[in-house]
Amino acid sequence: MKSLTTHQKTIVYLLLAIVLILFLTPIYIIASSSVKPNLIMFQKPPVFAFTPTLDHYQDLFGMRPFAKFIFNSLVAALGSTVFSLTIGSLAAYAISRIRHKRINDLAFWILSIRMFPPFAVVVPYYIIFEASGLLDTPLALIIIYSTANIPLTVWLMKGFFDEVPRALEEAAAIDGYGLIETFWRVTLPLAAPGLAVSAVFCFIFSWNEFLFALILTGSEAQTVTVAIMSFWSSDAIQWGRIMAGSFVVLIPGVIFVLICQRWLVRGLTMGSVK
Amino acid sequence: MSAITLKNVFKRYGAVQVVHGINIDINQGEFVVLLGPSGCGKTTTLRMVAGLEDVSDGEISIGDGVVNDVAPKNRGVAMVFQDYALYPHMTVRQNMEFALRPMKLGADEVERRIRETADILGLSEFLGRKPAQLSGGQRQRVAMGRAMVRTPKVFLFDEPLSNLDAKLRTQVRWEINKLHQKLGTTVLYVTHDQVEAMTLADKIVIMREGHVEQVGTPEEVYTHPETAFVATFIGTPAMNMIEAHVSKGRLIANELTLAVPEHFANQVDEGQNVMIGIRPIGLHLTDAGEEDAMKAQVEVTEYLGNEALLNLHVGSHEMVAEVPAAKRVATGTNVYVRVNTHDMHMFDSKTGKTLAK
Repeated sequence: MKSLTTHQKTIVYLLLAIVLILFLTPIYIIASSSVKPNLIMFQKPPVFAFTPTLDHYQDLFGMRPFAKFIFNSLVAALGSTVFSLTIGSLAAYAISRIRHKRINDLAFWILSIRMFPPFAVVVPYYIIFEASGLLDTPLALIIIYSTANIPLTVWLMKGFFDEVPRALEEAAAIDGYGLIETFWRVTLPLAAPGLAVSAVFCFIFSWNEFLFALILTGSEAQTVTVAIMSFWSSDAIQWGRIMAGSFVVLIPGVIFVLICQRWLVRGLTMGSVK
Repeated sequence: MSAITLKNVFKRYGAVQVVHGINIDINQGEFVVLLGPSGCGKTTTLRMVAGLEDVSDGEISIGDGVVNDVAPKNRGVAMVFQDYALYPHMTVRQNMEFALRPMKLGADEVERRIRETADILGLSEFLGRKPAQLSGGQRQRVAMGRAMVRTPKVFLFDEPLSNLDAKLRTQVRWEINKLHQKLGTTVLYVTHDQVEAMTLADKIVIMREGHVEQVGTPEEVYTHPETAFVATFIGTPAMNMIEAHVSKGRLIANELTLAVPEHFANQVDEGQNVMIGIRPIGLHLTDAGEEDAMKAQVEVTEYLGNEALLNLHVGSHEMVAEVPAAKRVATGTNVYVRVNTHDMHMFDSKTGKTLAK
């Protein structure tokens, strides 16, 4: 690439700065407010120098079963991620390998499930889960999140499987491996970056989801997003708790993305053919 | 005993038939090359033997049993793919190990086989590397190594040298030749390169448009081509072909006339349309006065070191002559050429089949 002139560099850095400010300011506000005493939280102009306090965190974990909500969120998000990756990657593999003139129609049909506005289906889901006794259980959330995550996984993984040369699977077939073993030992490892990307998307979507969790869970399976919302009642808005809760909620997502990042390597199939 | 037998084998993709009932018999330990232009069905045939394609009709046997419905892994074959198909996430050692794992050998035996194969192929120092860290020639050897460690009944090669540069190709060709002499395993080898076929094969199967044109030793297909296709496909530069008809014991090709060679005298009928085949090396420079000397104009001269190729206009016919380099002549010169009658081939114009007995 042609190296940039000083002038161009200035513009690039300026744009980067704007983007960073846009993304990081809310996080800064959350993080700083979560350790600010209530008195100065909304003081204008904002106070930057103060003695941090852990009151809000003690309040958060001490007075409410907040850890349980985090656990519920983790179960729903991880459960849906694992389930979606399993079903989604198997389906994607089939779509990638089966030669049929209508196979792309099938793939599109799967994707179209994602196009439902959640609001349109939340009531039918409520009726279904109430009838089946799954209301207010993590399983209900896992099922619903998976209906959104599986189509996404199928589409992402199909692209990655398409990139794995068939010759590798043929080589494995001649070397003595069956279909499933070949998939497990040859194809899937080479599509690992796809799995990582899918996992990140599935996890973040499920972790942040609010509407279904609000409608379909009660005291038992309530997730952390709904719990934070409940700090906003008609009597008072507990900003300290909201800020502390929001900061805690950020952490698992960041950890998860960092874990998945090491699999986001390009060029895994380099050197296999040609 | 036959190692591989193809009996009346067909391959169809829907309505399109790509292999039309071929018969091939391969003996134990034989090196057989399937040779033909692209699209002739040679790779499809190899893949049917490997079990990677279904057989539409007919029978393929490996050893004693029919293998039509046997999974690739149970056929006792190992294959070297055109693109090598190395497992990119595994090291060279793991690539070989992976091929051995289904055989459930002891750890010592696995180690012994990997060491031995790596020694033979000169891969010992690369065992810890991944395919991406190897050169094309090294990858090619790993692909062979992965096939060899399993000590299969049959080796299948699918154009294994086509991705290598010319120099490396010659070298690997020698290595494959040496390996076959050493291991004595039956080999079925697909290529479109006649030099590979001629140098490696015990037996060449020449295919064209899904049919077998001729089966024979390299010498047989070169000296006694059964069809005009084989005659022009084998040999570089290609055999010169001239359309002619028989009239009063002479061959008439526009303004050229040649005597019917003695060994074809009883094979042709008056008025029959034939193709005369003359290898470039069978066209000799001569003097104007010689019997059957044909006047020719040199269009292009190609100097190849030891010999030179003359592109000639002989009357209305274009021909190539291969002459000693010392005798080459300048472009545009007029020369006289002559054909030794015993160097001539003749084919029926309609069927393309040889007229030799």
